[in-house]
Amino acid sequence: MVTAKQTAHLVPPLFKQGAADDFRQSGRTLSFTLSPRDLQISVFASPNVLRSQGIVSPGSQQIFLASLQQAPLSERRVFVTDMSVIFAAVQNLLKASRARDTQLLQSEDVMQALNKLANDYVNFCKECCMYASRDISRPEPLQFDAEHYRKLYTCFSLFSVLYLPEPGFEDVPIGDELMEWLNTHFIEPSTQEGDDLSSQERPWEDPGFWSYLTRTSLRGLSKASAFFLDVLGKHPSTYLQGLAQQLSPLLTNHPRLHHFDAERDFAVASRRWKDKVKTLRIELDRVPDSEREDDFENWWDRFSDIVGILEGRSEVIKKVCTELGADWKEVCAAWGIFVDTRLRRQDLPDIVAQILDEMPPDPTDREDTIHSLLFLGRPTQALSEAAQLDVWLAAHLADLMEPIELIDADPDDSELTLRQHYILAYAESLRADPALWRITVDYMYSCGEIGREMGDQVLMRVPLRLELPEDAAAAGEEATRIRSGQLVGVLKDVNEACFEYQREEIRRSVCKIAAQTFIREKEYGLAISYITSAEDWPGLGRIVDLVLEEYIAQGAAKFAHLVANIAPSLHNFGADSVARLHAPAVFQHRLMFAVRFAEFHQRRGNGDWPGAAADVVSMFREETAPKSWWAVLLCDAVELLQYNDRMLFASNDACLLIQKLEEIQIRVGQGCGDDYLSVLSRIAHGGEKHALQRLQTVRLALARYYARCGAIGVGGRPSGWNY
Amino acid sequence: MIQTGLIPNAHNDLVTDASYDFYGLRLATCSLDQRVKVWQLDETTGSWSLEHDWKAHDAVVSKVSWAHPEFGTILATASFDRTVKVWEQISATDVDGTQLNGTSAGTSSSTRWIERAMLVDAKGTVRSVEFAPQHFGLKLATISSDNYLRIYDCLEQPSLSSWQLTEEVDVLSLPTATPSSRSNAHTVTVATPTQSSTTLDGNSASLVAHALQQQTSQSQLPGRPGLGTREADGGWSISWCKDKYWGEILAAACGVDGIVKIIQVFPSRRPSTLLSLNPSPSNAETTKTAATSGGDSEASKAFAITSVAWAPSCGRSYHLVATASRDGHVRIWRVKPPTPSEDLEGDDADGTEGKWSASIVGDFDDHKSAVGRVEWNITGTILSSAGNDGRVRLWKMTAGNVWRPAGHISVEQAEEQQGEADADMAVED
Repeated sequence: MVTAKQTAHLVPPLFKQGAADDFRQSGRTLSFTLSPRDLQISVFASPNVLRSQGIVSPGSQQIFLASLQQAPLSERRVFVTDMSVIFAAVQNLLKASRARDTQLLQSEDVMQALNKLANDYVNFCKECCMYASRDISRPEPLQFDAEHYRKLYTCFSLFSVLYLPEPGFEDVPIGDELMEWLNTHFIEPSTQEGDDLSSQERPWEDPGFWSYLTRTSLRGLSKASAFFLDVLGKHPSTYLQGLAQQLSPLLTNHPRLHHFDAERDFAVASRRWKDKVKTLRIELDRVPDSEREDDFENWWDRFSDIVGILEGRSEVIKKVCTELGADWKEVCAAWGIFVDTRLRRQDLPDIVAQILDEMPPDPTDREDTIHSLLFLGRPTQALSEAAQLDVWLAAHLADLMEPIELIDADPDDSELTLRQHYILAYAESLRADPALWRITVDYMYSCGEIGREMGDQVLMRVPLRLELPEDAAAAGEEATRIRSGQLVGVLKDVNEACFEYQREEIRRSVCKIAAQTFIREKEYGLAISYITSAEDWPGLGRIVDLVLEEYIAQGAAKFAHLVANIAPSLHNFGADSVARLHAPAVFQHRLMFAVRFAEFHQRRGNGDWPGAAADVVSMFREETAPKSWWAVLLCDAVELLQYNDRMLFASNDACLLIQKLEEIQIRVGQGCGDDYLSVLSRIAHGGEKHALQRLQTVRLALARYYARCGAIGVGGRPSGWNY
Repeated sequence: MIQTGLIPNAHNDLVTDASYDFYGLRLATCSLDQRVKVWQLDETTGSWSLEHDWKAHDAVVSKVSWAHPEFGTILATASFDRTVKVWEQISATDVDGTQLNGTSAGTSSSTRWIERAMLVDAKGTVRSVEFAPQHFGLKLATISSDNYLRIYDCLEQPSLSSWQLTEEVDVLSLPTATPSSRSNAHTVTVATPTQSSTTLDGNSASLVAHALQQQTSQSQLPGRPGLGTREADGGWSISWCKDKYWGEILAAACGVDGIVKIIQVFPSRRPSTLLSLNPSPSNAETTKTAATSGGDSEASKAFAITSVAWAPSCGRSYHLVATASRDGHVRIWRVKPPTPSEDLEGDDADGTEGKWSASIVGDFDDHKSAVGRVEWNITGTILSSAGNDGRVRLWKMTAGNVWRPAGHISVEQAEEQQGEADADMAVED
């Protein structure tokens, strides 16, 4: 049974049978929580009434873990996975057809393709059934037995026969196909019986002989019939010998639709054949009463029944079926072969209803119920029963029923269509195994807006596996590659799914979550990269702040080291790319500053003095540096000012630096210390006073530098510079 | 349904709440023993191991809630010590200066949980805490036995230390529906006692009077916290609406009146009640009489709502809100937001001034005893409830849009022998 077993009792039980009152009086009730990952549920005893103090402590408490449904295992997992491929093909077919705006039912191509896909489903059910029936040793025991897959096979196959005929054959008599279906799935009589009878010298003495022969005649198993009619050549009664000889060609040459190209030819042949049956009947009636029995059986009655079948007498067929222990399906199939050779699909519901009135289906046999509902043309009810048997069946039948307009494509009050309801129910069952998420979301995303949002819920919860495991050795290729900026592993899969289904919001959410992980690991470059991909500008602002915090907290040397890791990602942004982001201006500025500041310190760290100096100058000139960082920048520039080997700043640049310093000092004097000295104060660990002291050093360095400028040359660029 | 495992010695006293993190890979549990524990799932074996364990409060911890992972690894806990605390998991190499909690257990010694903030505004035991949907930023809502709903906004994100109380509202004194600025009728929900799903409208004339009655009757009820029997009989629960389209909306149940209020909070206005979910609105009248006559009327006693859960709407135009009640009923309300009206008269600036309506689409008393908790799955397709009958029951919608029971899990001893309990795990025909 695939639908979840309806109840479960957890062990060890918390109270005895019927003792719920005791449970309650002990101050306990039951509580639980559902897992978002799969169908797991945690269940535990909880206080009945919350008071500030507990009652006498009940001691060690346990938490039960249960699952609302078993995950697909073993052969079922293969079944589910392979079937999803066919499902995807159906979706693609229908999507393409809708895009061409063709009326599905009128497009022969599409109907042909659907027919073929339905056969794929049927064949796969058959394979699974055969696999499950093999008596072999398996690595894992079967989750469902062959019998279960057999039922799926018969139901899907019947659906296909009744509702998805080959294009051009919709209006053709259905007798042949129904009989073939019956003979494929409900083999009668058994080979064993045939073998038993054929090994006998005088099989007609066997009590099962006539039933056997009647059945083979009914089922159109002409070879077997012919064989035993031949054997009847040795029967004591000469009448029977003769009749058997006459009957045999009637059975072997019974006209069947598929033998003919045109239905008219078939009709003509059938009429001629019927005439021959009449002749046989006349012969039969000539047999005197006294000659109609042998020592074992009234063979005449039995023979007459067979002829009655051939004559197409419905009451004979029903009587025979009842006697044989055959059910309504056999009567239906026989109807289309003998009673009404022109029986068409659309005629079935009425005929079947009549038959079922007299020979109702077995209400305890769900498979039989499904068959009857399919015959009766009640697809909605058939789906309901199918869902009880296996929600896979309901989902995939509904998926084919809707495009061929067997079921309503309009949503009901729940805002889901019938098809969506069953497919989503099936997808939910797959959630029992989170590793099947790709398949689960594929199904969900085919179910309209509601399905898409449900798919989002599942997609978002696929763990990204970004954390580096404890021992770096096991870090694995994936984690390393992610950190080098490549999109791999689960992150890549989720990203691809987002693109495939156009779930931009989800993609962004996933990026934000990834950024969070990288922030924790201080992989700021990756964090920036992902947060920008998510277009989370406030988030970007926060990361930039964190990056700058590192400078404040760890100092220039450590910052430079950290920044070395950021450089590749930030470089992608650079000055130009930052401008290309659609971020609001304020965030662009902050990021720009962080980028430049990082580059400045990197250059310092690498000994690229001219480059570093240029960075400082441009940060002031282009007003990239925020006011609160001017003082910091100036302090960091002291080293460059004091560099002896070269004059790194032009005199007008030095002027600029002096101007900035002046501005700071004037503003601080006016009481705006917070605006200009907040960051430096923190770095200087001594508040504003120490910050100002630091600035004094800057002042001195600038003064000296400017003096050197003057000494070397008049304004502009002193000689010895190379830019 | 099958049992898949057991965590044998989870806590030393009854567990009050458990909550899975966003991915379902961690489980946080809290208990009467004042501790919080965080368990980690081993995906290959399916077993849970203890990752962290610490004393979180000085009294019973009533609830635990995870924030969305885009903000980091953050938990909030609510306690009978009248505080709400916010915790963050950090790597142990972080030298923070902040008090380190979360002594690690098991193998994971590279992370710690530290207390980031303590919110002390509640004047009663804090019964519930829930983080808001992530699109509203990092914020949380709490409800306590002083009947106040409080909403806090995190001001400084990476540090998590500063939380501003942005909303503090006495749920009981909120009207059952805030009259809209238009004079049109607004709806107060009246439910049918059976499972039919007709949507019902109120009429304006009596509604204002009705609302006033509610207010006066409620203020006459002794609702002070600390009164032993009252607190024990009361239920306090909240649940955020998971949508972002309609704004910040919560369902809140408070005290013993059995009413769930759907409350909308705004950044610059007082909160308003969009509608109330009341399974037996006639109680309002009788409660008033009862209060004045000084006793509870037997015939129409209201029962506290112990738990309320708002389903994720997943693209549906309607919402589902489930309630668990001491009267043994699990109810599913279908809440319909206003449809944008075609005939705007120009004064309806935001669509939320329109009519909200609700009807009961499922009313089950299968537990036959007080129900303590209801919870939805992440797609809003399965509702679970647990009650004093020792069962966790499931509810699903059929193809015909009808909610039906869908099995249960029981902690009662099965009729079979103990040794045959394993047979329950086998697949049966």
